[in-house]
Amino acid sequence: MKTIASGLAWFFILYFVLESLGHLALNFLAIPALRRKIALRPVDDVPAVYSGLEPPVSLLVPAHDEEKAIVASVGALLQLEYPEFEVVVVNDGSTDGTLAVLQEAFELEPFPEALWRRLPTREVRTVFQSRKHPNLRVVDKEHGGRADSLNVGINASRYPLFCAMDVDSILQRDSLRRVVEPFLDDPHTIASGGTVRIANGCTVTDGHLAAVALPQSRLALLQIVEYLRALLFVRLGWAALNAVLVIPSAFGVFRKDAVVEVGGYRADTIGEDMELVVRLHRVLRARGTRYSVHFVPDPICWTQAPESSRALMVQRVRWQRGLAQSLHGNRAIFTMKGGGAERWLAVPFFLLFECYGPLFEVAGYVLMTAMWLLGLIPGATFAAFLALVFSLGFLLSVSALYLEEMSFRLYPRASQMALLVLVALVENLGYRQLMAVFRLGGLARWVRDIRIRFHPRA
Amino acid sequence: MAFVLAAALLAAIAVMRAWRRWKRRRIEEREEGWRRAMQEATDDPAAGTLAPIASLDLPEFLLLWNRVQESRGGAAADNLAQLLRRHGLDQRALGLLRHGSLRRRLIAMTTVGLLRDERAWATLESIAGQGGTVVSFAAARAMIQIEPRRALDALSASIVQRDDWSIARLGCIFAELGPAIVTPTLTTMLISRPRAGLDRVVKLAKFGERGRVAPIVRGWLSASDDPDVIMAALDYVEDERELPWAKSAASHAEWRVRMAAARALGRIGSASELATLLELLRDPIWWVRYHAAQALTRLHGMTPEELQLIRDNARDHFAADMLAHALALMPIRRVRL
Repeated sequence: MKTIASGLAWFFILYFVLESLGHLALNFLAIPALRRKIALRPVDDVPAVYSGLEPPVSLLVPAHDEEKAIVASVGALLQLEYPEFEVVVVNDGSTDGTLAVLQEAFELEPFPEALWRRLPTREVRTVFQSRKHPNLRVVDKEHGGRADSLNVGINASRYPLFCAMDVDSILQRDSLRRVVEPFLDDPHTIASGGTVRIANGCTVTDGHLAAVALPQSRLALLQIVEYLRALLFVRLGWAALNAVLVIPSAFGVFRKDAVVEVGGYRADTIGEDMELVVRLHRVLRARGTRYSVHFVPDPICWTQAPESSRALMVQRVRWQRGLAQSLHGNRAIFTMKGGGAERWLAVPFFLLFECYGPLFEVAGYVLMTAMWLLGLIPGATFAAFLALVFSLGFLLSVSALYLEEMSFRLYPRASQMALLVLVALVENLGYRQLMAVFRLGGLARWVRDIRIRFHPRA
Repeated sequence: MAFVLAAALLAAIAVMRAWRRWKRRRIEEREEGWRRAMQEATDDPAAGTLAPIASLDLPEFLLLWNRVQESRGGAAADNLAQLLRRHGLDQRALGLLRHGSLRRRLIAMTTVGLLRDERAWATLESIAGQGGTVVSFAAARAMIQIEPRRALDALSASIVQRDDWSIARLGCIFAELGPAIVTPTLTTMLISRPRAGLDRVVKLAKFGERGRVAPIVRGWLSASDDPDVIMAALDYVEDERELPWAKSAASHAEWRVRMAAARALGRIGSASELATLLELLRDPIWWVRYHAAQALTRLHGMTPEELQLIRDNARDHFAADMLAHALALMPIRRVRL
């Protein structure tokens, strides 16, 4: 029994070490890209001049029961600095006054749109055109979820690039220009994702970010370090390998032809954004098409993070289900010929450490504690495990803070950095474990989804 | 071990912060004097004295000078250039260009470009030919600032072939230079009709003198079977003498050519092209129908009432829908597609 316990203990220790080293390696991979970004600032910071040859962009904004936020959000989008863009709001069968407030604020009138139904969607009821803003249309449709709304938006869009957004995404005036830049510099770009930062505590004026500050909410504060550690620099590391698997739902630009070619968004998945990107990798690789997926590390999109543990749980359960669906729905990526870093590194890494990660993490915490309490492993081994988990977690968070300090320095005051270091220390004492439990819940929901699919009740 | 590494990173953060604060203060202390000298030099080429500038401060000084210089023009810009030369900073900018870090080289590229310093030509040409996207483009831009025509000739192969040189950014440079300067290079490129990068040349052609560029492009209509070439040529059709070409392109096997034909017919056609456009309005491809409907609304001599009648009598519902769409769009806007 003790031999099995000892073997298990070593397994969990090795797992945590490998996971942390993997993330650290991705942070290191991000360094050259960040250094280059810093070096290029003298040419990057010059005021934008447009030639009229920039690719026009359709901003797609799915909205379901967004009566309170939609007008301010659309108003802010219409003020973006970009030579040519349109805003297509898709009212996804809202039961509140979303459509009514839009009609009133933007003077909408029905428009006989000849929709190109390239992607199958739920029924479109009416297309409205704004009298005040020629580049604003609203598509009213039956409720079908975010993916279905985005497919409707793609059908209604008139430009070669589209930007998928959330109603609560807060942008800067130059955000669209920055996220489109990869399409200018690399003609093989099919998708470009913007960094999402946490807006809690920041000042927002006219729907745009005016000043950056740290939030009062402890939960939001913990998420700031978590976003830096797990979302920003790690993704930049994957981008260096052309293996970005996630384009944030809050702000991502895609080449429309490429997305239509692979069938658009899948309406039967939770994480439609990740699923689409993984599918794009899979299909385009299989066809031997040259392509690239970029990640823009500049802070260009901000979002409100959940401030209650319940809302956070709902978010993480959803993310985890989406992740599992995306990876398993595209499992053919494992059997296809060839493939690059996305197949040989990113997908296995995501599967082992992101998708099944919470299973190993929670099992690690529970079994190691139980084995120590039952005397199956020595106290020293258990202490070593805890020290390792804690110290590696802290090292990862500090390395993310180091990269933030090196590059963007959004929190310039010493007190802000001190607070973030404290958060990096504290998040290992409960927050990370809680997130693992939430994510495990998401994984369990995904397993239940599969069982229901295969064994539906009569 | 992990804690030691974390502590080392925290120390590195502290050092970075301290270094940055020290450097910011140092630059703030000097910047006032630099700005004063630049202000004085703006009005009088002999005025403005700069204290010796340490190597550490040189990139920040040049960055400031670049910004000030870019906002000036005419005599003020010449005077500011004189200020740099008087203090031997032009020579030091050349040194940075050859031996600096990436950031310093980029700053120096802008400086030598603004100074129109021909001594930098060979270095810039080498960087433009070998560097990565941003660096090579910055070098090309500096070359164009130094001697536009010579630079355009030297860079024409890269302009056509390097698809990492954004056409939108090139367009900004071409627009800034103006038609008189860019037209000779553009006509040479167009006459050579490169197999790769033709679409780039055609897009840039809009910055040239239309009277000289358009005949070359239109000439392709009778000389090529390549759909890309015919499409480009159709976009330059502006004379009713070319109507037969546009009408024959309306039945081309490639839908993009039919779409371009619809656009051309809308531009130069009259009511006699109605039948061709109505045929295109029933095309299986959405974009062809869309442009055919747009063209109908632009046809010389067609009234909205006549179009409404056509729409009401259309048997093909795709055609009717598209025409309704185009009619509704008429008072609102014209979109570029």
